[in-house]
Amino acid sequence: MTLIILWLIQDLLTVFSGGGMQIPGLFILGIVYKLLIDSGSDSAKGLTAIWCAFAGGILWDLRWVGIPGFFTLGYVTVVIIVIQVWALIPPQGRISGTGWLVFLLMEFSQLIPPLLPVLILGGSAGWVFFIRQQANSLPAILLTMYIYSRKVKNSQKV
Amino acid sequence: MDNTRNTSREWAHGLTALIIALFLLGVSSGLGVMKSIVDIWGTVLSIPEYPALIMREVYLHWRSRSQSQDFLNDEVTRLKEENAKLRIDLARVSGEKSYSVTSSDVRSARVTLRAPMSWWSEIRIDRGEHDRITQGLAIFSDGYLIGRVSSVSLMSSWAELITSPSFMIPVVIEETRELGVVMGNGDGNVYLRYIPASKGAARAGMNISTAMIGEQLPPGLPIGKITGEFAVGPDGYATYKVEPGADLSRFYTVSY
Repeated sequence: MTLIILWLIQDLLTVFSGGGMQIPGLFILGIVYKLLIDSGSDSAKGLTAIWCAFAGGILWDLRWVGIPGFFTLGYVTVVIIVIQVWALIPPQGRISGTGWLVFLLMEFSQLIPPLLPVLILGGSAGWVFFIRQQANSLPAILLTMYIYSRKVKNSQKV
Repeated sequence: MDNTRNTSREWAHGLTALIIALFLLGVSSGLGVMKSIVDIWGTVLSIPEYPALIMREVYLHWRSRSQSQDFLNDEVTRLKEENAKLRIDLARVSGEKSYSVTSSDVRSARVTLRAPMSWWSEIRIDRGEHDRITQGLAIFSDGYLIGRVSSVSLMSSWAELITSPSFMIPVVIEETRELGVVMGNGDGNVYLRYIPASKGAARAGMNISTAMIGEQLPPGLPIGKITGEFAVGPDGYATYKVEPGADLSRFYTVSY
């Protein structure tokens, strides 16, 4: 449900900006956040994340790209990488000392999806789009980092 | 063991999703049905997107209104400046007209008294109420303004000269349209004051005449020329010496 809301928020913000401003990928950021928070419990969540990313990517492509596959590829790639990288960290070590890794994974989620269309289609306009999107994504990443750190702290208290 | 299996499953699902995505990317661009699907999805999303669309329209309306407000403010400022210039030009034209009317309907009066104690301040003329003289009426000599009527009696009037220290009238430099104030010093000299020294483009030989902003005298009445002598006060305003067009040492009659 949270992911649907995030997808809709991302969509509504894009409608509101009218294409004049590149909106951060809130949907994929939400998936990454959930993977990092809930990871390690069971693989079903990882699989759910993969297919959620796939569905969200398809729908996004249908809405804003017109050709399904661009953002779908990016979203699924991000999820696979996050699952695999996070699986390399032992569950005991995921709490402390992984701040930079969490940041990098979240940044990665904002880097890959818009990068693929630029690499495939090319063009200077695409690069401008990409750079703007990266700049706009940073506040969203920092906010997610903040929510993540609070969540981790609360879970440690419990 | 379970962990390895989980990882394998995740890889399998992930790669499957990637392959499907690549397949869609490869074939969908050539499929005509994709356009219909995109349209249908767009129509479905138009319902939840409606508030965002409205908000965008409101925002754009507000922004354009704000921009047009700025534009209107700039336009008003520009028009005000233009209006001020036009008023000055109009004053000049109407002043010339009034001067020509004055010239065409010129009447003369004889100077009957010029007291040595107030030599540069006032004169008495032999025309009064009976001759339709009114307070504030401009008087001329040689076609130039030399003063205005300060008090009227039935058969005579007193006129204050431009060399009087209490005679202050707003004027305009005709060549530059700068506004200032002409005033006498009581010793036979006339000065033009309150011209900004930094911006002032006043030069010797420029003509000055009454400005429209003075209510008592009609605009455009010629007074004299700037002689070029000036001093800059600590307030940043320059004072120019003015040579009256009329010879104030030798006049026996005035016109009005």
